[in-house]
Amino acid sequence: MTAAGAALDRVGPKQGWLAHRHIGLHTALIVLMIIWAIPTLGLFINSFRPATDAFGTGWWSALFPPYNFTFENYEHVLGQSNIGTNFLNSLFISIPATVIPIFVAAFAAYAFSWMEFPGRNILFVVVVGLLVVPLQATLIPVLSMFASWGIAGTFLAVWLAHTAYGLPFAIYLLRNFMGSLPREVFESAAIDGASSVTSFFRLALPMSVPAIAALAIFQFLFVWNDLLVALIYISIVNPDNLPLTVSIAGLMTSQGAGTEFLGAAAFISMALPLIVFFGLQRFFVRGIVGGAVKG
Amino acid sequence: MARRFRWFMPLVVVTLVVAACGTSTTTDDKTVTVIGTWTDAEQDAFLAMVKPWETDTGNTVKYQGTRSINDILAAGVPTGVLPDLAGLPGPGQMAEYAAAGALQPLDDVLDVATYTDETSPALVELGKSEGKTYGVFIKAALKGLIYYNTAAHDYAASPPATWDELISQGATNQGDAEALWCVGISSGDASGWPATDWIENILLRQSGPEVYNDWWAGNVEWTDPKIKAAFDLYVDVIDNSYGGGTNTVATKFELAGDPLFSSPPGCEFFQQANFMSGLGKFADLAAGTDFNAFPFPAINPDYAKAVEGAGDLFGMFHATDAAKSLMKYLVTAEAQDIWVAAGGALSANKNATSYPDDFSKNAGAAVANAEQFVFDASDLMPSAMNAAFWSHMVSLTNGDETVDEALEALQEVAIDAYAAE
Repeated sequence: MTAAGAALDRVGPKQGWLAHRHIGLHTALIVLMIIWAIPTLGLFINSFRPATDAFGTGWWSALFPPYNFTFENYEHVLGQSNIGTNFLNSLFISIPATVIPIFVAAFAAYAFSWMEFPGRNILFVVVVGLLVVPLQATLIPVLSMFASWGIAGTFLAVWLAHTAYGLPFAIYLLRNFMGSLPREVFESAAIDGASSVTSFFRLALPMSVPAIAALAIFQFLFVWNDLLVALIYISIVNPDNLPLTVSIAGLMTSQGAGTEFLGAAAFISMALPLIVFFGLQRFFVRGIVGGAVKG
Repeated sequence: MARRFRWFMPLVVVTLVVAACGTSTTTDDKTVTVIGTWTDAEQDAFLAMVKPWETDTGNTVKYQGTRSINDILAAGVPTGVLPDLAGLPGPGQMAEYAAAGALQPLDDVLDVATYTDETSPALVELGKSEGKTYGVFIKAALKGLIYYNTAAHDYAASPPATWDELISQGATNQGDAEALWCVGISSGDASGWPATDWIENILLRQSGPEVYNDWWAGNVEWTDPKIKAAFDLYVDVIDNSYGGGTNTVATKFELAGDPLFSSPPGCEFFQQANFMSGLGKFADLAAGTDFNAFPFPAINPDYAKAVEGAGDLFGMFHATDAAKSLMKYLVTAEAQDIWVAAGGALSANKNATSYPDDFSKNAGAAVANAEQFVFDASDLMPSAMNAAFWSHMVSLTNGDETVDEALEALQEVAIDAYAAE
């Protein structure tokens, strides 16, 4: 028996076992995915049905004749007078409120991972500890602070609020990622005379792209779907700056009618985050660290 | 290149911050910010109502409609970040905000003599706290209308005057109808409120306005035999309803009346407020022709004149000249005429009469001229009590609780809820 044959013998059964295991895993994943997607599918189908049908019968009954689909719900949602402005406002709120916290968190995460300074661990624990502060508890003090600064109702107020709300988690996630980057990379850079700033921009930042992409999605979705923060910090002073979620919430009347439009509204509001997700998806799989250190 | 890139992101941030500051609009004395619960069609109607005022005075109204008005005011009152005018959650919160000094008294703003003369006394009273007027009702609703399909039987000539007559007439005219009543109490996170309206309407006609007012004020225990009698009658209604309790809980209130018009009809009667005429199938049909409604009949003949209503309370937080002028304008018959003409809304003002049809006109007259007018009790209860009332009505209706269990649980909630007030 040659060495190669022995190697095949060793690999063969293992591969078969792996493949077998993958079939089970894939089946489980597919089943879970279908279960997970069914409510969304139901919502999607219902968003094309007239209110009486949608509330009277299950969404699956729409799949059988007589077919009764309509674009009325979408027309109603898109026909709201201020929906265009609110969509732009949503973008104008979400993009800076995603970029700013990630940028600040990246600096902080680098410092927490690779810079030595007194009290580093305690400071990090305090920052992570802020994760437990419920957002609602901060509304009143923060609003009165914004009021005294004269920025209540401005975009700046929501950017700052979302930055602050997003930072503890962003720092925690990025610190863990940057902390796991190979120490040798930074040591060699230091030997070559790179400053901390250079190491951050030339090494830490590009190598953390997968984590930053994941974080960007979390933060963008959080801000995009936010209703409460915008309502409290903006609506009282300047309703012109309100985001899309407020138009959607407004589809329901004070008596609780109008829920038939919410499905359509959900899909309109979902469209952009989906684009963002698929746009950033390739960054997840790109492993930059691989090959950075030659053994 | 790397060096330049280094400064690029902070520059972007700074630019954006400057841009954000630039977009901040300072509210001048020509603008009135208003927050209300009206959205969609109701928002359009409100904006149509303030349009003539804007044209006359050259001021502008910045209106925001949201159902989260409670959250906004809860954050706004302690911080002082408040709109000029706003809808108020209820008389309880109104008194609280007035005591906190956030709400401005309206006695010098309104033409009090005219306002008092034109408005239903019960509503004027509800807008007062410590003897001063802080809230006005610029929109009203009439509760406890019993809708029917005129094609099945027209009750307009001799509407049932008592509950017993209603039951016997219902039995006579049943025809193909599957059940006597249609009931639907699903309404998102406020599910159960249509059932609380049922209890309120029954209690009001069974035991009268005094017991009713003592009850929401927390002076009558939930386990009292009078309250239990109202709950028992409600359970009787559900037993005779289309699809029974399970269906009632699952049916959206705005679509619950639709089986009146199906063939064969699902039910004969459907109890709801006046605004129902703009919802579900009712919206596509002609009020007064295709369907009509009669007032909730007396159960005890002594209380035949009592009427239950609700309304949107409105208050002023900043006494600017423009805000005062708008507030004064909103309660006038001239403004209210525009509001009611759009349909779906009733006015608390007797002199607003340009209703789109006789159906709304009669409902409006019933509110404005009621001899005994009571306000929606669940809206007046402490919010914890109100929420418990809603949710226990759901569990009672679908059979998870018996009347006694529900009442005992509600009484337990009441002890804490009223103590916290």
